[in-house]
Amino acid sequence: MRHTTVCAALVLLASTGIARAETEVKVWSWGSAAPALEATLEGFNALHPDIKLTVDKLGYSDVKSRVLAACAAGGTGLPDLFQFQNTEMELITAQFPDCAADLVPLGFDADQQAAFPEFKMFALRQGDRVVGMPWDSGPVVMFYRRDFYEKAGVDVASIETWDDFQEAGKAVQAANPGVTMINDNLNGGAEFVRMIGEEQGCGYFSSDGESITVSQPGCVAALEVVKSLKDQKLMTAADFNGKLQNNGAGVVATQMSGAWFEGSVRNNAPEDQHGKWGIMAMPSVTAGGSRAANFGGSLLAINNNSRVKEAAFTYLSYALGSNEGQITMLREQGLVPSLISALDDPYVSEPSEFWGGQKIWELVLGRLEKIAPINGTEYFSDADQVVIANQTAYLAGGFDSAQAAMDDAAKQISFATGLPIAE
Amino acid sequence: MKSRSRTVLLRSLALHAVIVPLALLWLLPIWMMIVFASMEDSAIFSAEVQLWPGDRFIENFHELQAELDFVRTIVVSVVVAVIYTAASVVLTSMAGWALARYRFHGRGLVVSIILGTMTLPYFVVVIPQFIMVARDFGLSNTWIALIVPPLFNSLGVLFMRQAFTMMPADLFDAARIDGVSEWQIFRHVALPLARPMLAALSIILFLHSWNNYLWPLLISNDRSMMTAPVALGSLFGLLDVSWGGVMVGSVLLTAPMLVVFIFMQRFFMAGITAGAVK
Amino acid sequence: MRQRTQTAYGFLSPYLLIFAIFWLWPIIHSFYLSFLSTRRQPWSFNPGMTWGRLTQDPAFYNALWNTLKILAIQVPVMLTLATLLAVLLNSTLLRARGLIRFAFFAPVVIGEAAYAAVFRLMFNDEFGIVNKTLEGIGLDAVSWFSNPTAAMSLIIIAVTWRWVGYNAIIILSGLQSIPQDVYEAATLDRVSPRQQFLYITLPLLKPVIVFCLVLSVIGSMQLFAEPYLITNLGGPGGATETLGLYLYKQAFLNLNFGYASAIAYTIAALAVSISILNLWLGRERS
Repeated sequence: MRHTTVCAALVLLASTGIARAETEVKVWSWGSAAPALEATLEGFNALHPDIKLTVDKLGYSDVKSRVLAACAAGGTGLPDLFQFQNTEMELITAQFPDCAADLVPLGFDADQQAAFPEFKMFALRQGDRVVGMPWDSGPVVMFYRRDFYEKAGVDVASIETWDDFQEAGKAVQAANPGVTMINDNLNGGAEFVRMIGEEQGCGYFSSDGESITVSQPGCVAALEVVKSLKDQKLMTAADFNGKLQNNGAGVVATQMSGAWFEGSVRNNAPEDQHGKWGIMAMPSVTAGGSRAANFGGSLLAINNNSRVKEAAFTYLSYALGSNEGQITMLREQGLVPSLISALDDPYVSEPSEFWGGQKIWELVLGRLEKIAPINGTEYFSDADQVVIANQTAYLAGGFDSAQAAMDDAAKQISFATGLPIAE
Repeated sequence: MKSRSRTVLLRSLALHAVIVPLALLWLLPIWMMIVFASMEDSAIFSAEVQLWPGDRFIENFHELQAELDFVRTIVVSVVVAVIYTAASVVLTSMAGWALARYRFHGRGLVVSIILGTMTLPYFVVVIPQFIMVARDFGLSNTWIALIVPPLFNSLGVLFMRQAFTMMPADLFDAARIDGVSEWQIFRHVALPLARPMLAALSIILFLHSWNNYLWPLLISNDRSMMTAPVALGSLFGLLDVSWGGVMVGSVLLTAPMLVVFIFMQRFFMAGITAGAVK
Repeated sequence: MRQRTQTAYGFLSPYLLIFAIFWLWPIIHSFYLSFLSTRRQPWSFNPGMTWGRLTQDPAFYNALWNTLKILAIQVPVMLTLATLLAVLLNSTLLRARGLIRFAFFAPVVIGEAAYAAVFRLMFNDEFGIVNKTLEGIGLDAVSWFSNPTAAMSLIIIAVTWRWVGYNAIIILSGLQSIPQDVYEAATLDRVSPRQQFLYITLPLLKPVIVFCLVLSVIGSMQLFAEPYLITNLGGPGGATETLGLYLYKQAFLNLNFGYASAIAYTIAALAVSISILNLWLGRERS
């Protein structure tokens, strides 16, 4: 009897909110994005002390496969919030239209949507629904060791094309024995092909997602650059961890990646490398050509079955939808905001000590407006797997030309997806 | 006489000259596991080869614990393996008993279905199994999902059927004449006799469950229900992974099995060779 | 008889229930799935996107070819090594028997995640002990993770390291079941030890070796965790992608359950037919 009374009292208390229960919001995240979220908590909890965020840090492919498995299971096991790659979000919307919650009824209105650039919102629209909030973007830049370049007498301002870069590479490697000019994740990805391809206006699929464009000149040129770097022994293979290990051991002079790599370079560099790193724009294929591309960049989506959607959205609005949240993540982990207003923040024009006093964010953000949107489509990983395989085959001499390798890739992708190859 | 013992000596030397280096080579990965587990990452990724353990084991363990709550994942693994092993032993020894000791309608069919489908790779069932357990039953991240589906394993059935077939029939007939029920005969006569076989089976099943990777990888995606190998594997793609920590995890996963192996070698061998003998 | 049947099924039914739900039914369901296009909701009947694609998918043939390569190279190497090892371990001259047996049998109990991690570090291109040793003895370092042939060798080395002891245990038990008097008689007839091995031991071991062969074939067809964990999802560029891994990628990274089911059935058909072939070869002469 007394038991029931106590219970009833508790229920009453809880429902009237007198005993303000803490709401727990769980999130899955990868890479430097996870510590970035943790960095926002101080500011967020000052405003919302009742919402507790638990960040679960996993590897990128782990988050991806776990999210997909959970969506396939009708949402069981999915945390309240999850990170996903922008270019891959259509995989979820096509297969599991009910997996990610619509943010519009939660308050993500037209004004708020307009605060983000269209190239980020593109993949998130599903009819009238919006299934995620844009997070960071990845303007591609080169991270280089000033001391190695200087020792070789290379002036980065003179590097405009990939040919220039290769000449510089020979000098850098000659002047710094044991150092490799650049790393690409050749064994597990086609990252340079994607970055240089996008710089040249070429993605795996056309912008409407209706045809396959991987055999277009821009992508072919990108593969040629990769082959040339490899053949001249200016490039070795290293995945994400490998790059950081090589950085730490001082055996690599340059890394090319989305700007979100900044925090990883900075936070993993040993003490004696502070001030020795710099950032430059990526070279172009042709003199005077485009030097801007986007690589990576993700979003946060809310689990449609979450019991704390409102709290999750409150967090999104702060971490991704406010200058304060976005700038915190930029400062701590180098995540480049996709929230347009954050780009005017004074922090952006501050020089960075680690980067030898360079105003890196001006350089990085200067790329943003030059980026052309790329359509990932739900077939992105199919296409990526094919391109990776053909890249390996081409580098090993399996195709006569880059064009032949990409023509074959286009044929395979077409067969896997049923889409036509663009003329 | 003397020359004979010299040949023996030479032969013995030759034998050891081949097998000792090979054995050392085979032990190297396990030794390196311990070496890496007790070193800083900067020492693992350094220009010098380190062959002797360092003193960072505890620090590395703390890093691993902070990253994964590794102790919890070990607990999950132990609970899953223990219940799975117990359940599988019970289920399969009952089934093995029925197939060994009774002639009944459909016996041939049951045996041939079990034998026939056992050679099929697990991949044939994993997708529908996943769809069924995860989507239709909604059981992701539950103990049931981790423990029950792998119970299909028919190893124990064949194993125990063989054990019971080899027992003398008079033993059971005598009990039957005394009016003991079939269940009692199974429980109090047959099972105690099969104890060594049960031990061997248990060890093999425990090992299966302990090292199982694909199914727990798919079905438990929440940290609180991850088994230790899956949690460890989840570190591989992480950017600031502490490899020393990963190695501590490897050591902790491996050491108990090695201890069991050393002390119960006989049962291990029996478990592994059971399928081969007949 | 009826009562017998009832009792028997009483004992059988708990296991049969689990077996039917989690093994038999999925086998049937998988066959059905292999005819569906599962790329978009709702799933639709479209065998062209599954079985049709299978017939001309280069990535599938790459995975098949890689699997067959492992089958053709790793399995014979491992079984030869296991047989030799079993013979050596069975020698009465062997000292420190327990320790040496431990060295070869210990890998059997090590989980994939644990040993994959060690192998990744030991074979690390830049810092690993293997390349350091190669350089130390004047050879070139090998790019274990970026050279396709080297990566495949790495997988073969890893799998062999792990499973040779397992097979040696089985073969050893076969050796020990050969009656000693056969050898005594042979020795009296002045048959040399080598001839004894070739003409007595090997023929008598044949059934056991065939058993190991069948196990290894089924195991190779299912190889998944090694390329998943050691060479990072079958890298470089699919050079170590096995059928099992390709199936995993199609099913759980590309969400193509239908196509993955068609691949699963192909793996099953291959495993069964190779096993039957092996058994038939083993039986032929006896």
